[in-house]
Amino acid sequence: MMMRFVNLLFQRGVLIAIVAVAWLLASSRVPSFVLPGPAKVWSALQMIAHSDSFLHDVGTTMGRVVSGFVLATLIGTPLGLALGSSKRLAVFFEPILAIFNTVSSAIWAIFAILWFGISDATTVFVVFMTAMPLILTNVWKGAQTVDHLYVGLAQSFRMSRLQILRKIYLPTILPYFFSGARLAFGFGWRVSLVAETLGSSDGIGYRLRQASDLVQSDQVFAWTALLIAMMLLLEAGVLKPLENRLFRWKTTAGAN
Amino acid sequence: MNAPASVLAAAAIGPAQTQQPPLQRDVIASAIAPAIALTQIGKHFDALEVLKDISFDVAPGEIVALLGRSGCGKSTLLNIIAGLLPPDRGSLRFHGQDASAYQGWRRIAYMFQEDRLLPWRTVRDNVMFGLESGRMRKSEQRKRADRALQLVDLEAFSSAWPHQLSGGMRSRVALARSLVIEPDILLMDEPFSKLDPHTRTHMHDELLRLHQITGLTIVFVTHDVEEAIVLADRVVVLEPRPGRIGEIVPLSPSLARPRHPTDIDVAEQVRILRLKG
Repeated sequence: MMMRFVNLLFQRGVLIAIVAVAWLLASSRVPSFVLPGPAKVWSALQMIAHSDSFLHDVGTTMGRVVSGFVLATLIGTPLGLALGSSKRLAVFFEPILAIFNTVSSAIWAIFAILWFGISDATTVFVVFMTAMPLILTNVWKGAQTVDHLYVGLAQSFRMSRLQILRKIYLPTILPYFFSGARLAFGFGWRVSLVAETLGSSDGIGYRLRQASDLVQSDQVFAWTALLIAMMLLLEAGVLKPLENRLFRWKTTAGAN
Repeated sequence: MNAPASVLAAAAIGPAQTQQPPLQRDVIASAIAPAIALTQIGKHFDALEVLKDISFDVAPGEIVALLGRSGCGKSTLLNIIAGLLPPDRGSLRFHGQDASAYQGWRRIAYMFQEDRLLPWRTVRDNVMFGLESGRMRKSEQRKRADRALQLVDLEAFSSAWPHQLSGGMRSRVALARSLVIEPDILLMDEPFSKLDPHTRTHMHDELLRLHQITGLTIVFVTHDVEEAIVLADRVVVLEPRPGRIGEIVPLSPSLARPRHPTDIDVAEQVRILRLKG
């Protein structure tokens, strides 16, 4: 166990070293507006972190992503449940879902600008349109896997429909919902940047575009590094522990 | 037999503790009334007649087997008794009370062919599931679940997950989940048919032990003649198309307990009943 951990740490160290050396070598051969070196990016990073608008930009983007995501959950979950519990409803609405899944986020962004202009709603809308079908589809799939034997069990104890929904349906759907929500959040986060570069006047996406327009490559790289760090932190600090806690019953092996 | 005193006490006062109206309003009637009285029960599924003229009584504390081949309507009959299916014809009474009222008081436990343990709940939470349709406080639910687990000797596994248990243990958890509501009547639909023969014999002993402690009235469905004879006081033999009573075979007290499939008198009785089938 310990050995394996040390080994993994070593491998990661080597990988980082290789990337860093390659980056250094490459950046010394091309102009810095094409590929800025690590030192330049580091100083840009510090400059961004100390700028007045940094917290505002990060907070704004986060706020938009979270709003779009929460809206998608609030609307996608009941819709998925409805489709999952009625075959006729599912057959009827399936084409709409197919459309949702084929229209690219960039197109939603263009629609959003037409409808909402340069505003928060533009980004929220794009995140929503991307995340909602993912959550809906997963909840729907989950609802289809509900075991009718468990429903019969609940009925034999004379549970109400609401109790059956809470005690049988929701726990069955939860793993599906979770993987859908995770996907939705990841996608929502990425498309929010696209939306912000097109239709907003603040936020991380807007800063990225601004830096790019002014050919401040070091800042583009710095923002990118920040985004990656934030996503990794969210994954390791929130999502993974939450998943482990929620689905203990799947993973616990023999021990008692 | 060797259960702790608290468990014995709990089993003895069980019904009176439940949240629903007490039976006492008809003390005399219910004292002499059978635990279950079926009178001319009939059931159709569309044009198909599944049950015809089913009439028999089950005395309080009695163990009755519904024996028959598949398709004779024995599970349908059990579901009607449980209140999971309405009969088309005939009347059904419990301890002299109207069936639908009695079924609503949660005094009837039902055990399925499969254990139906919820994989996302620990053993104790699975047992508590039986109480969650009522209004009992969580702490009381937990106390009762622990008591029921003690009854089936699984208190050490209360925080284990179902997938960590053997088939026999899972079956005992399902039994505890049925007993946790402290029922008067236990209905079982081929509850041990998915277990291996050895475990099944063990579960038979377990069930009889619990029956002695609790004094439950038990009606169970089986297609296994030997199982019917080892467990039951009386065997109701059902015949198919339409499902009707072929014969009611009394076993107790003439056939002494404990019964083992290899005992001469038990084996003889099994042989007789098999020949009739």
